[in-house]
Amino acid sequence: MSTLVTLLRLPRGPDPNGRGFDPNSTRFVALCPTTISASTETWTDSVEVGEEQRARSALRESFLRTLIAMTNKQVQFHMYERVEVEARFGASDIDVLNFQVSELQTPIGVQKEALLRCQDVISYSFDL
Amino acid sequence: MAMRQTPLTCSGHTRPVVDLAFSGITPYGYFLISACKDGKPMLRQGDTGDWIGTFLGHKGAVWGATLNNEATKAATAAADFTAKVWDAVTGDEVLTLAHKHIVKSVNFTQDSSCLLTGGNDKIIRIYDLNKPEAEPQEITGHTSAIKKALWCNNDTQILSAADDKTVRLWDRNSTEVVKQLSFDMSVSSMEYIPDGEVLVITYGKTIAFYNALSLDMIKTVDAPASIHSASLHPDKDFFVAGGDDFKLYKFDYGTKEELESYKGHFGPVHCVRFSPDGELYASGSEDGTLRLWQTAVGKTYGLWKCVLPGEFSSIWHGIGKVLTGAWFPPDVMLGIHAKEFNLGFISPENLVSHVLRVL
Repeated sequence: MSTLVTLLRLPRGPDPNGRGFDPNSTRFVALCPTTISASTETWTDSVEVGEEQRARSALRESFLRTLIAMTNKQVQFHMYERVEVEARFGASDIDVLNFQVSELQTPIGVQKEALLRCQDVISYSFDL
Repeated sequence: MAMRQTPLTCSGHTRPVVDLAFSGITPYGYFLISACKDGKPMLRQGDTGDWIGTFLGHKGAVWGATLNNEATKAATAAADFTAKVWDAVTGDEVLTLAHKHIVKSVNFTQDSSCLLTGGNDKIIRIYDLNKPEAEPQEITGHTSAIKKALWCNNDTQILSAADDKTVRLWDRNSTEVVKQLSFDMSVSSMEYIPDGEVLVITYGKTIAFYNALSLDMIKTVDAPASIHSASLHPDKDFFVAGGDDFKLYKFDYGTKEELESYKGHFGPVHCVRFSPDGELYASGSEDGTLRLWQTAVGKTYGLWKCVLPGEFSSIWHGIGKVLTGAWFPPDVMLGIHAKEFNLGFISPENLVSHVLRVL
């Protein structure tokens, strides 16, 4: 009987949650200098990186504050396939992949509790 | 002891894989792009098959895909009447080129400055990627859908194969036909090897080799089944082919002798290509998988490890729980199928120490 060639492991398959292109891979870090990299080469680079990081933090903080402000408010969700629904916002999960909502008004009735998939949402609006 | 080929199966696509292409050899290795009818072309590390990313954006089956030499750009041709150019490092869509019909083929020039497209509207187009809003240069002449259009002769000429059963050589500047080949049936695939100016064409059960400059025939080889795609090894000693009978065939280019054939795919093989270093070849099939096959079976390369009889110490590191085992006569080796689906071989003397580590 002939021997099978051995494998160190199987090829890694796709990540079900993302589209890949790991920003931490050596190739990405080397070929895309405009994004923030873990190691900064010069003083001027670190200044730019610092400013970019400050802007990112400010934007992230205001986004998180809008999520807090939205709790228990009526929010109108504008989604794909010309879907417009209104619901009372409950919470978001940690990666902002799903929104927990209550009293979701749909064309086929009012859903008491529902989970909206964030990738299906184009935009949402609410009154402060 | 004869070694049996263990192909690496790359899953992820949900529909047939219709085209694949390798990049050149870059400082980060080489890469592989696969075109799939599910509309989501994928980029993989060429020597291991590890998935790197999926190019999301097409709204129809992707019929053609290519990478530039440095693997920094990718281009895809789809049934949504567009060809798209992508940044192959970030995965972002860079350009969408609208066409009037299904686009089947895309090809970069050596310096990645121009993109060649061809498809069901029977027109070959040349886009200047530095001026993407400019109208593309058009080359007309084919009377049927274009299957493949490739740059050749240092990007000064273009080779195209269409369903009108012709392969035509065009001059890029004059857009005139320089030479034409006619066949009795449609050409199923075409590969151009710049080093040596060889053109590999498949039709019916035949794999034909032509001089790419003169279109003089070098030789033809017949396979046991209808062939959809073939690829010539960079050193021009072997070529591989696959088609309707789900098998991969390896032939000696010099003697035209069939050397090996491998079963593995569960559907017809649509595309097959050698890697730029010739150490492996990749095949894409109707079954939705890509498989990587070793050129020299048993050699240590990528994820394949050469194991000599007697040295079975650290093939698998005993992470997984042992599920089943079997004795393989007549060499009296124990094959163990462990939880991580690694197949390891262990000689009986080493068995005790390994079992203690695993269980």
